[in-house]
Amino acid sequence: MKLVIDQNLCKGCNLCTMVCPYNIFQEGSELNKKGVVVPELDRPERCTNCRLASLYQRRLCGVCQLICPDQAIKWIEEEPYESMKVVIEY
Amino acid sequence: MKSVEDWYRHDRMPHIFCTGCGNGTVINCTLEAVMQMGWDIDNTIFISGIGCSSRSPGYITTDSLHTTHGRALAFATGVKLAKPEFDVVVFTGDGDLSAIGGNHFIHACRRNINMTVICMNNMIYGMTGGQGSPCTPAGAISTTTPYGATEPVFDLARLAEASGANYSARWTAYHVKELTKAIKVGMEIPGFSFIEAMTQCPTSYGRRNKLRTTTSMLEYMRDNAVLLNKAKRMEAEGRELSPGRFTVGEFVKRFRPALGVVKDEE
Ligand SMILES: Cc1ncc(C[n+]2csc(CCOP(=O)(O)OP(=O)(O)O)c2C)c(N)n1
Ligand code: SF4
Ligand code: SF4
Ligand code: SF4
Ligand SMILES: [Mg+2]
Repeated sequence: MKLVIDQNLCKGCNLCTMVCPYNIFQEGSELNKKGVVVPELDRPERCTNCRLASLYQRRLCGVCQLICPDQAIKWIEEEPYESMKVVIEY
Repeated sequence: MKSVEDWYRHDRMPHIFCTGCGNGTVINCTLEAVMQMGWDIDNTIFISGIGCSSRSPGYITTDSLHTTHGRALAFATGVKLAKPEFDVVVFTGDGDLSAIGGNHFIHACRRNINMTVICMNNMIYGMTGGQGSPCTPAGAISTTTPYGATEPVFDLARLAEASGANYSARWTAYHVKELTKAIKVGMEIPGFSFIEAMTQCPTSYGRRNKLRTTTSMLEYMRDNAVLLNKAKRMEAEGRELSPGRFTVGEFVKRFRPALGVVKDEE
């Protein structure tokens, strides 16, 4: 599972930066195309829910999603890695 | 199994609430509690009055009634009596519930009607630009109290308890897990369940009261909320809560006879 912020919904209130026990959400610095400074994610793979949701079959922690007033925080399924062909030239 | 996503009207998002407004958080917690209850979209109805908080049902897929200012509880009583098998939830604001709708509030508590009422108390009339409400704390600046509010405030959770509600609790938009749990307990209990959610209104309240950023408003709630048990211990020791601090927790949970409860087949 992968943690994402929906760029169309986030209004940049920074409440998520207050609550994550891993400080994954960091105040952003650049305006997106809607004119909002969306927080940046610092190593989101550390998130409890990213790591363990599929094992427990339910949402874990989830405090950021509950507090986000704009319903902008989600987890999406990650694309499985595609096998790559490596060409070795002699 | 339905997911919480099914309960949001995605075609209406993003919602109109200002950046950092606490109302969105309370909707999240409410829908999370509804999911835990396993309620059915077609059997649940959200009812509200007028105010920013009262716009919440418009973002939820179920049937809803967006009624007139202060009258949500009167409409909800009608719905519950006509359709007792429906799960009824009311969203209201501090102004809607305790100013213009104050009488409906105490009588709905007294009748102990089987519904869950969630009040987003931002201590101000948010929608109309920041007039003082019966919950605007002493000293706070609003457009109607430019020199600072001086009147005593209503303690809504205790008012509900004194008026006869079966369940009353108060949490804040910072305490999302506790708030969700309280809403769920309120939904489980037959009779009138009241949950007061202290919310931040950065636009009409924070801006004028030295709480300019949303995060500073949440820090204020985090740092000033005192658990009810702790407040009771302090009272026993003869110590008072310092001004600006407020209690959170479960105020009452009881099983008085309620109106509008569907009895199981007898
Ligand atoms: C009968 C009537 N009187 C006054 C108004 C104007 N009015 C609209 S919202 C509001 C106050 C809302 O305050 P609150 O319930 O605290 O909601 P908030 O916007 O703070 O969430 C008022 C006075 C109205 N719409 N109808
Ligand atoms: S809490 Fe939600 S809306 Fe606010 S900054 Fe974080 S992702 Fe954006
Ligand atoms: S679910 Fe918890 S750990 Fe994961 S990002 Fe949100 S707050 Fe952090
Ligand atoms: S005015 Fe206040 S209560 Fe209304 S949407 Fe804005 S922040 Fe929320
Ligand atoms: Mg209000």
